[in-house]
Amino acid sequence: MADKESVTTLVIIDDEPIVGRRLKQVFTKMGYNVEIFTNPIEAVDYMRDNPFDIVVTDFKMEEIDGMEVLRKAKEFNQDSRVIIITGYAKPETAKEAFKNGVFDFMVKPFRLEELKNAVNRAAKT
Amino acid sequence: MAHFIQQLADKIKGAISRSSTQDGIDVKEKFERFKKVLECNQKALEIIADMGEKLSGDYLFDRHYIETSFDELSETVLKCVHRLNTLCENRYKDLYEIYERIYDRLLQVLKGRDDRHGPPVILLHEINKSQFPIIGGKALHLARIINDLEFPVPKGFVITTRAYHDIIFFNGLEDSLERLERLLGSHSATDEEIEKLRAMLERSIMTLRPTRQLLEEIELALSHLADAGQEVRRFAIRSSAREEDMDFSFAGQFKTVLNVKGSAMEIFDAYKTVIASLFSKHVIEYRRTVLEGEGQMSIAAICQVMIDAKSSGVLYTTDPLNAASDNMVIVGNWGQGEAVVDGKMPADSFLLSKKDGLKIIDKEIADKTEALYLADKGGLERRTLPKQLQHRACLTDEQLLELARMGIKLENYFKHPQDVEWALDPDDRLLILQSRALLIKRDSGIDRSLLDLEKKYTVISSGEGLTAQQGIGYGPVKIVKNIRQIDDIPDGAVLVSPRDSSVFVRAMKKVSAIVTEVGTPVSHMATICRELGVPCLVNVTGILSKLKDGMEVTVDAEERKIYKGKVKELLVYRSCQSMNVFASSDFRLLRRLLNEIARLNLIDPLIEEFRMDRCETYHDILRFIHEKAVQELIELGKDEKKLLKGHLTKRLELSIPTGILCLDLGGGVSEDAPEDYCEFQHIVSIPFRALLKGMLTPGVWHTEIMDISLRDMVTSMINAPKDAIDGQYSGHNVAIITKEYMNLSLRFGYHFNIVDAYCSDYPRDNHIYFRFLGGATDITKRSRRARLIAEILRAYDMNVKTKGDVVTARMGNMPRQEMERVLEILGRLIGFTRQLDVHMESDSSIQLYLDAFLTENYEVVRS
Repeated sequence: MADKESVTTLVIIDDEPIVGRRLKQVFTKMGYNVEIFTNPIEAVDYMRDNPFDIVVTDFKMEEIDGMEVLRKAKEFNQDSRVIIITGYAKPETAKEAFKNGVFDFMVKPFRLEELKNAVNRAAKT
Repeated sequence: MAHFIQQLADKIKGAISRSSTQDGIDVKEKFERFKKVLECNQKALEIIADMGEKLSGDYLFDRHYIETSFDELSETVLKCVHRLNTLCENRYKDLYEIYERIYDRLLQVLKGRDDRHGPPVILLHEINKSQFPIIGGKALHLARIINDLEFPVPKGFVITTRAYHDIIFFNGLEDSLERLERLLGSHSATDEEIEKLRAMLERSIMTLRPTRQLLEEIELALSHLADAGQEVRRFAIRSSAREEDMDFSFAGQFKTVLNVKGSAMEIFDAYKTVIASLFSKHVIEYRRTVLEGEGQMSIAAICQVMIDAKSSGVLYTTDPLNAASDNMVIVGNWGQGEAVVDGKMPADSFLLSKKDGLKIIDKEIADKTEALYLADKGGLERRTLPKQLQHRACLTDEQLLELARMGIKLENYFKHPQDVEWALDPDDRLLILQSRALLIKRDSGIDRSLLDLEKKYTVISSGEGLTAQQGIGYGPVKIVKNIRQIDDIPDGAVLVSPRDSSVFVRAMKKVSAIVTEVGTPVSHMATICRELGVPCLVNVTGILSKLKDGMEVTVDAEERKIYKGKVKELLVYRSCQSMNVFASSDFRLLRRLLNEIARLNLIDPLIEEFRMDRCETYHDILRFIHEKAVQELIELGKDEKKLLKGHLTKRLELSIPTGILCLDLGGGVSEDAPEDYCEFQHIVSIPFRALLKGMLTPGVWHTEIMDISLRDMVTSMINAPKDAIDGQYSGHNVAIITKEYMNLSLRFGYHFNIVDAYCSDYPRDNHIYFRFLGGATDITKRSRRARLIAEILRAYDMNVKTKGDVVTARMGNMPRQEMERVLEILGRLIGFTRQLDVHMESDSSIQLYLDAFLTENYEVVRS
């Protein structure tokens, strides 16, 4: 759970606007500061210039993919924790993501509860 | 000579053993094939249950999941059809075509093109829920208010999206429309491109030509609504978009045309205006930014008779300024409601309180100088109000209370505060024109307020149970332990029960939430909760010991928390979102798809026509296949000699005379059973064991032959099947079993029971199906017994249907223990009701024996 003194910033990237809004609702309820993006490039620009702690990103997106987002996030903040969520699971993709320092790799469909747990875990480290 | 006889003997022996071996292979092969059908069927049902679970709101999934599940399911269903034909020697070849038809229809849903099939015009009072894809959210909402709540609503009809597509096509605009939809879904499309196309379409829509068919359909609908001798009626034409919330969040962006003369052409002209608003700048912008990727969008239109209202206005079932209060607000003026909705004219305002009974607590009567009325030439006109009306309340106290009561019912039904438009007609009748979710503006403070609720309120349960349907409910607890309590549930109560039960469907329009101690998110009850949006938390272990009747609680089904008292913050939070505002297009797609897959039309061969061509969904096909496969094996079972010979079956020796033959397909009977018979101790089949336990319950099985009156005896002789002898067993009782499956058909001369069950450790795979029919007496007594049986089954939470002397019941997707419990009850029931129809002298007999059974007083039959 987020520490009241220093609020954890969560960046959520998903090209479906409603998913972002929904997750923003869920995580704000839990005490996080949430920024949502449907365009990963805008998200990367945000991360370049602003502090952030955790990133939850879709994998398959039009402009750049989740792997690229992961790399950029780590570049701008090596302590950031990135969680990739995807509907397409290929072992090679997961492997590569872990190599690039991903915190967790989740395959849809999954319970919201699982994502909440993953984010909470990321917030604790 | 001896040698020759020996040779002949050998030949004959050889021939006999060959034929018995051949028969043996045939029967054994049939068993294997039957098992394969069963396996495939189970797999398909599991996929369907899995998809259903994803709709509890608790999951994140995407289109890829929907597509792969659909593919896997389709493949599996096709395999089932194939395997049935393998089992039944291709007797059901025609099923392939039926499958193709359904597959194609589902593909249309997947492509978002399911809004193109069905009638172009439907009367409001004749809408059925499966027509949702073509009538839109607002119309569905109204249909529910008319059918489920039975509230007075102005009559009307819907011009469906089917008509919309027909007209678009007829006027050659299909290509342009598709191009616009593509552009809206593409990231690279420019503003100019879109604007150009949009403007063109908007203009073109205004000059659309109607098809003759559409005009005729509208004429027909108008004639249905016409009052004899009355002049041509006036109509209001309103939009009804695919998703309710799109409609409501677009609020005011789609055009409404009022006071249109009731002629086909004038209605069509108004209709054009409404659908043109689908292409207004505002809407296209919204579709582009908010509904990114939604692509296709079509619109239906509701044409409703306009009321020449004495007064009208709005009702907020919860005060928008204080969503957690117990107050309701009614605002009204004389004449038409537009004056109130627009807020441009002074209107009366009333505040009512729901706390401790309904009361009016404040009235602000405005200085009403003008009102809007229907103009002769069409549209609305302002009129100055006569002096005596200017300071008079537009509704009497009685009318206010009546309206408020309807509002409370609406709020309880839709599980959300409502924004209701009402009108008082010239005969002083209150009518509901529209009701939608009341949405209060969100502010960031609301989310923050939800932190640390656990510190501010007493938590009764946290993190226990499973979300069947998310949402928030608040009200007094009502613990329901038996079926008779259902009708006493107060409005807005939180229904709490030991287990999921189909019977709760009756109460769903009243309750604010449902909590069960034992249950699963894939039970029948859970599925209906999702359909109706009832917040539902199942399998909350130990909850009954923590709650008492009348205790006020707030249930947050999503977070799986139950708080004592009223958690204001959650109620305010609830008022800030409608049910589906965060339901992604994928969620909505899955819901539509699943509806077309899981809806069951074919339920029982004896209650409705169980024909192949009546299969409309995958579930129907699976049900049909299962039934025919079982029938095939039962036919086999009729040839006892054949079966016994090959040692493929064993006689089941029990302390009660049932003469059951067990066809063990694998794992149903233990290895140490003797060769040609077995006893209860040898039965390893989980469901069969449970059923037998019930049948063997002391006192349940009556072995004496009943005293039958002469009349009954005569009737029975007329009714009796050919092989009945004195009501005793005579052959053909077959149990087909595996470790987890059973199908038992039990016949005692005049009674015929079928129990088909699958009982494993995975709730999703489990089901029980029970059918009962027959009796030795006349139809009246037999029907009474059927009703008794139905009552007993409902008391044990089964989903029951009856027709004459036939009763069928189903239960599914419950944990193993629950299934075993019900099977045991069925076993007892079979014994108990064997000769009960003889005693069914009058309707009061039903209650007598119902009570006896429920209190385990089986001896009562003898007395």
